[in-house]
Amino acid sequence: MRAVRERGSYLLYLLPGALLVLAVILVPFGMNVGISFTEWSGVGEPEWTGLDNYGRLLSDWTFWASFRNNLALVVAMAILPTLAGLVVAAALVDHIGKHFGSRHAAVLRACIYLPQVLPIAVAGIVWGWILAPQDGALNEALGALGLDTVARNWLGDPDLALWSLMGVLLWMQLGYPVVIFMAGMSRLDPALHEAAELDGASWWGRFRHVTVPGLRPEIFVVLLTCTIAALKVFAPIYVLTRGGPGGATNVPAYFSFQNFFERTRVGYGAAIATVLAVLVLVLTAVFLRVQQRGER
Amino acid sequence: MRRHAVLWSVVVLAVAMLVPFLIVVLNAVKTPEEYATGGPLRLPEGVSLEGVVAFWDRVDFGEKLLNSAIISGSVAVLAVVVSVCNAYALGIGRVRGRTWVLVVFLTANTLPQEALVYPLYYLADAVGLYDTKLAVIIVFTAIQSAFGTYLLTSTLSGFPRELLDAARIDGASKWQALVRVVVPISRPTLGVLFVFFFIWTWNEFFLPLVLLISNENQTVPVALGVLQGQRLMDATMTSASALLGVVPAIAFFLLFQRALTRGITAGAVKS
Amino acid sequence: MPKRLFAAIVAVLLVVAGCGGSDGASDNTFKLWHFEGPDSAMGVAWAEAIKQFEASHPGVKVVFEEKGFEQIQKTGPLVLNSKDAPDLMEYPKGNATAGLLSKQGLLTDLTDEVAKRGWDKKLGPGIDTTARYDERGVMGSGKWFGIPNYAEFITVYYNKDMFDRQGLALPTTLDELTAAMDKFVAAGITPLATAGQEYPAQQVLYQLALTKADRGWVDRYQRYTGDVDFHDTAWTYGATTFADWVRKGYVSRDSAGLKAEDMGLAFMQGKSPIMVSGTWWYGRVRAQVKDFQWVSARWPGMTAGSSGNMWVVPKGAKNKQFAHDFIEITLSPAVQDKLRDAGGVAVAPGASPAADPAIRQLNDDYRALRDADQLAFYPDWPVPGYYDVQVSAVQKLITGGADPRQALDELAGPYREHLASIGK
Repeated sequence: MRAVRERGSYLLYLLPGALLVLAVILVPFGMNVGISFTEWSGVGEPEWTGLDNYGRLLSDWTFWASFRNNLALVVAMAILPTLAGLVVAAALVDHIGKHFGSRHAAVLRACIYLPQVLPIAVAGIVWGWILAPQDGALNEALGALGLDTVARNWLGDPDLALWSLMGVLLWMQLGYPVVIFMAGMSRLDPALHEAAELDGASWWGRFRHVTVPGLRPEIFVVLLTCTIAALKVFAPIYVLTRGGPGGATNVPAYFSFQNFFERTRVGYGAAIATVLAVLVLVLTAVFLRVQQRGER
Repeated sequence: MRRHAVLWSVVVLAVAMLVPFLIVVLNAVKTPEEYATGGPLRLPEGVSLEGVVAFWDRVDFGEKLLNSAIISGSVAVLAVVVSVCNAYALGIGRVRGRTWVLVVFLTANTLPQEALVYPLYYLADAVGLYDTKLAVIIVFTAIQSAFGTYLLTSTLSGFPRELLDAARIDGASKWQALVRVVVPISRPTLGVLFVFFFIWTWNEFFLPLVLLISNENQTVPVALGVLQGQRLMDATMTSASALLGVVPAIAFFLLFQRALTRGITAGAVKS
Repeated sequence: MPKRLFAAIVAVLLVVAGCGGSDGASDNTFKLWHFEGPDSAMGVAWAEAIKQFEASHPGVKVVFEEKGFEQIQKTGPLVLNSKDAPDLMEYPKGNATAGLLSKQGLLTDLTDEVAKRGWDKKLGPGIDTTARYDERGVMGSGKWFGIPNYAEFITVYYNKDMFDRQGLALPTTLDELTAAMDKFVAAGITPLATAGQEYPAQQVLYQLALTKADRGWVDRYQRYTGDVDFHDTAWTYGATTFADWVRKGYVSRDSAGLKAEDMGLAFMQGKSPIMVSGTWWYGRVRAQVKDFQWVSARWPGMTAGSSGNMWVVPKGAKNKQFAHDFIEITLSPAVQDKLRDAGGVAVAPGASPAADPAIRQLNDDYRALRDADQLAFYPDWPVPGYYDVQVSAVQKLITGGADPRQALDELAGPYREHLASIGK
């Protein structure tokens, strides 16, 4: 009895957050779903068209192709940064922090985190310069190393553009898991590490059996938030390739943006956004379920 | 030997991460003529601050800095407060159905912003908040605190119960337990959140573009957009503006680095 | 810590509250927005116009804000629909932009003002196509919703030094141009700078199609006055010739991933001797090219071009009178001459020609195009969002991902779809 009342009064602490989410997220999202059943140019009276937009979506090849590209970006923005982030964080904390001082580790971490700070519009311009086919920094560097044959039209070749984009996204994203994992590692009990070291475990063994299991909560957080970010990725596409060449790097979020603001087919854009949101939501729910099972 | 191998490989990585920044700086100190004849990668002959100064005057950059600082600062503080309250109820209070509550909160993070633009515009206009900083602060407080709630709930669910019990025995109310026990011990995590929220909000472009239409309310990233013409861009001034735009965020990050070092340690208190 | 934290929150909230809701619009302010840089021809001329306006309207405060193009383009309808609309703003022309706004009822009908002040006579025939929209939001007839202040068109920029070095005269026909490009290719130079990721490449394709087109063709395509066949002579010639140009090396395959900026740099750095692009480059090329002689010359025949962006008066403008007065000033010979002398194309210049012969040539080219009724607008105009479709199709032509027939099919789809929805 007492426990129930206890829990009840905790609800009060949820109130401000709940109101905010209601006003800023849930109501607008509901409106968005409503818009998705209409044909509308953004101003004036929407025209009710029922499920037309969704029917259209099902047979829209561009939409489905954009999802396939999106999966590649999940690899580049969630899976690779998480893996690389673990290794880099471990190297910084276990090695550099220990042998060369935490100041060195902090400076290096700052360098790796900085791409997160660069405004995306600027990142787009700069990477455009680096990846430019003629006189781009990357091709010039390859030329200087005598690797002329490796030089490519990084963003202009439909077979390569997605890979180049993945590389840029990895660059952008890496700092975030590194910072989170390093913070998490300071939480781990050093005794465990020492014990493993005394047992003669290699660095790799300690990494696998001590560090990674210890960082489980952080790994979950990073994977989930990065996957969400990857599924709704928009700005890097917008500034780097605009979905091109020939749709090779189009993603659902950019596709919905095009419909919202360039084709002024707001209803159709809303339908795309709704499908995307539902997909992300389902994925989030599954993820949280798995995580909570793991915590128990 | 191997130690150094690890050090050097991380140093190489760090330098590689910095290359784009160097290119920004390189072009920020060029004259437009140098850029037009030599392209973006040629070294400039001297340092010219022409672009930096011109951009500062053209967009009244001081005002934009202040706007960005007000918005990012308010969002960072408010979102941390809201996250703590939420996570207190979910992670420590363990209210019923918390998984679903968490899913709802995370929705804020999962929804593509494009989907929210038209509704947020109409709502803001209806309540008279269109073209005010307050509208942007409210929106981003909601979005950022959703992430904070998720992260904090997962760390607070491992919060040492003994500490809370001890506080209760001393006669502390829930509020006092939150303020005197949970917050101080979670401070490092809150520091991380504060830094993230500030930087993320600082770099937000799309919603401020739509919601803050008059120049006196604009943020730094929106001001950078002024340089992207319909069919032309001004590359040297863009670089100069980028430099001006990232310096505050970098400064902020370096300033609060230590908050990150202490990290997410709420669960690590040994009793 | 908590105390300090709360003090901080309170402080922040106070600051925020102090900054909210600043609405200083009174009867004596004139709120003006445009998105031209201060050094551009328009920026220079309109700064002068503001000065003249202040002189002729003592006591009126001009609140000018320079906007980003993207902000205006993306949020235009939202701004105009709110209470915060300016009194006068620059807005892009065409069905998908100004046309859409007029259909949504967000713009003031300027027809009476045009008649009263004689703006139509000042602008001359032809240029008004982009200023008038019917009730479907289609340009070319109906009420006046915008007033153009400058013009722009596609022109050919030649690096004269590079032509001289190859012993070539500047071409005046398409055949001569092709022959010249052959010679450059043989010398290992990519002759035509262009960019597939943005507007330049699609405009080259359109220019090629226009060599086989007439006014009726343009009207059918741009104003929906009749059937459009994407496999007719003109389109087929445009697409196959463009693909040929890529195959023969006139255009680099690398250009698929390039932006307009890259094209401009390639020309201004003297890497490619030819650039086919808009007069919006003129001022910049003039200011920044110091190492070689260059000229701009007309493309033979019909040419993509139109009035520049227009002044529009939002429906919710508070001081429309000021807006009208300001438009009048920007159309005055003094301001128009200023625009022209800064490297722009004036729509209503004064009687005396420009002092600089190159600028005189540019403005004469425009007048010749207008008088011969050869301005053909831009390829991405007919359909909202067509720009991306055009980019994608032309990119495929450059990379070899599609043959000309397939590329034209890609253009045809969205066009037909849009046609079916017009007037709804």
